[in-house]
Amino acid sequence: MNAAALPLVAYLVLFLVYPTIYAVRLAFTDEATGAFPSLDAFHVLATDGLFWRALMNNALLPPLIVGLEIVSGLALALLLSARLPARRWLRAAIIVPFALPEIVFLAIARHVLAPRGCLNAALAGVGIEPTAWLAPGRATAFAAVVIVDAWHTTPIVFLMLLAALAAMPADVGEAARLDGAGGLRRFAFVTLPLLAPTLAAAVLLRGVDALRLFATPLVLTGAEGVPVLSTYAYQQWSDQGSESGAAAAGLVLALLCVVASVPMLRRREIAQ
Amino acid sequence: MIVMAACGHGDRLTVVLAVLPSELPAYRAVVSDWERTSGREVVLVAQQYADIRRALQAEAAAGSGTIDLVELDVYSLAPAGAAVRILDPGPDLVDALDPTAVRAGTIDGLRFLPHRLLWQALVYDADVLAKPPATWDELRAVARAHPGRIGLKGARYEGLTCDVLPFVWAAGGSGDVLDDAGARAAFQLFADLAPSLHPESATFKEATIAEAMARGELVLQLNWPSVMSLYAAQGLAPGRLRSAPLPAGPAGRATVLGGGYLAIPRNAPHADDAAALVRYLLGHDAQTRLAHDLGWFSARRDVPIGDDPLLAGFVAMRDVVRPRPERADYPALSRAWQDAVRAIAFDGAQPDQVVQERR
Repeated sequence: MNAAALPLVAYLVLFLVYPTIYAVRLAFTDEATGAFPSLDAFHVLATDGLFWRALMNNALLPPLIVGLEIVSGLALALLLSARLPARRWLRAAIIVPFALPEIVFLAIARHVLAPRGCLNAALAGVGIEPTAWLAPGRATAFAAVVIVDAWHTTPIVFLMLLAALAAMPADVGEAARLDGAGGLRRFAFVTLPLLAPTLAAAVLLRGVDALRLFATPLVLTGAEGVPVLSTYAYQQWSDQGSESGAAAAGLVLALLCVVASVPMLRRREIAQ
Repeated sequence: MIVMAACGHGDRLTVVLAVLPSELPAYRAVVSDWERTSGREVVLVAQQYADIRRALQAEAAAGSGTIDLVELDVYSLAPAGAAVRILDPGPDLVDALDPTAVRAGTIDGLRFLPHRLLWQALVYDADVLAKPPATWDELRAVARAHPGRIGLKGARYEGLTCDVLPFVWAAGGSGDVLDDAGARAAFQLFADLAPSLHPESATFKEATIAEAMARGELVLQLNWPSVMSLYAAQGLAPGRLRSAPLPAGPAGRATVLGGGYLAIPRNAPHADDAAALVRYLLGHDAQTRLAHDLGWFSARRDVPIGDDPLLAGFVAMRDVVRPRPERADYPALSRAWQDAVRAIAFDGAQPDQVVQERR
């Protein structure tokens, strides 16, 4: 082995291999007796309704969040790639939610959506009854997690697509226009195909990232309002004092992320 | 982090406590007096209870240690019993302490001594309620009059058990079983209150329920004394938000014991000095200073807990503080209480059905 690679190997062993082995061992350890290997932690997960809700939400939330991000990010990128007055200021304004520390952004969102928050106050001004937006079990809590998380991370997609639009050769669109293609046809048959690689990258990157969703549901609705696997693992560790349960839930989430990463790896192979 | 903080301190005592950063200077001043008289130096490490528990377990498993004294929350005493030494503080100190608190620290021998105590009381909005409910019937009446504004720390965690057990005890229940008369009466009370609970109660914990009350969404909740300090800092107490005793049930009043306990780890490098420091910290002078400077409730019966109007409701509950059931399977029992009350309060289950299912 090249000696120059030793620091890298040491780093990987210390910060990746050892913690991973430790976590796997923890997940397969019976907390009560210390016996290893044991499926006790997974048995607890399988009989816990909260785990299954978390797993289902982990399947539903990422496509909805990423879908919303792609649509809104694309719309904003198309709008702000045009020569609008003050477009630099508008671009900066769109990036603000991502620039804010996540906990600050989410605390603001929680105060806006609270029963006596800004949103209900505004609705009361036009005679609409207040709603418990974040109440557990309500569709509004689920929708709030989707919208707030998408709002927070849309700037990433926006920036990726804005860069792709800026790099797009202007003469292709111009040629289509001269051939008589309208705005909608130019978007569908010229712009969108040229953006496809960037869109695919955005979907894959954000999709895998969205699987690890944590802070948004936790701050907005607590660990049990709109549970996902990461908040479930946190709940096991923090509220139930079960390190094995947390490790087992983390392992399930890690497996999900690996499975979801496969399309991205295949894509790289194709590119190579 | 705790172990790293302790490393390299040689002859100095390492004490790991769950004090807040804002409390550390006052605590440091109390410890400094002992340093002067004993000639020993003390390193104070402020950490959360969960991290202290993990550090203690790690050192116990390793068979060697760097920590001389730890503070643990009352909930984690039983699982930590094997990792700490049996204490022999002398009869004068033990006799000065609240016997209930001492009993909670006795796990296969006296291993934990109460450093400071906590218990819950009612916190209510005096702008809405002219007087707080004094009985269960008055509590039901308040709930009917203020739908959606009754707070319960309903997340699935130990805090929910702390909200439930006082009602079980107040109805004559033991807290050890879910099907005695007290448990049934408490379950019925929660069923009666369910329609009036705040819609986010199923996810409330200490911080989120406190926030909701500060926003004016709740008329009452159960909480620990620290919430009153928070409200005082926000200018909400003791004016609008006040503390009061918990409503009396058929068998009277009760509240649940919380707080921090001192213990000497099995592998403490300076165990004798740590024992001397424990005696000093739990002595009359140190406890009086901690009560005065930090507002802590002392386990010493000869240290008054003050007459601050902010904490009036907590002071009134002092004589009815009870420890949670002392048994090895307490975590499972606590989980059973949480699941039962959540089923009744949030899923609409009937109390009888819940009792039958958990027999």
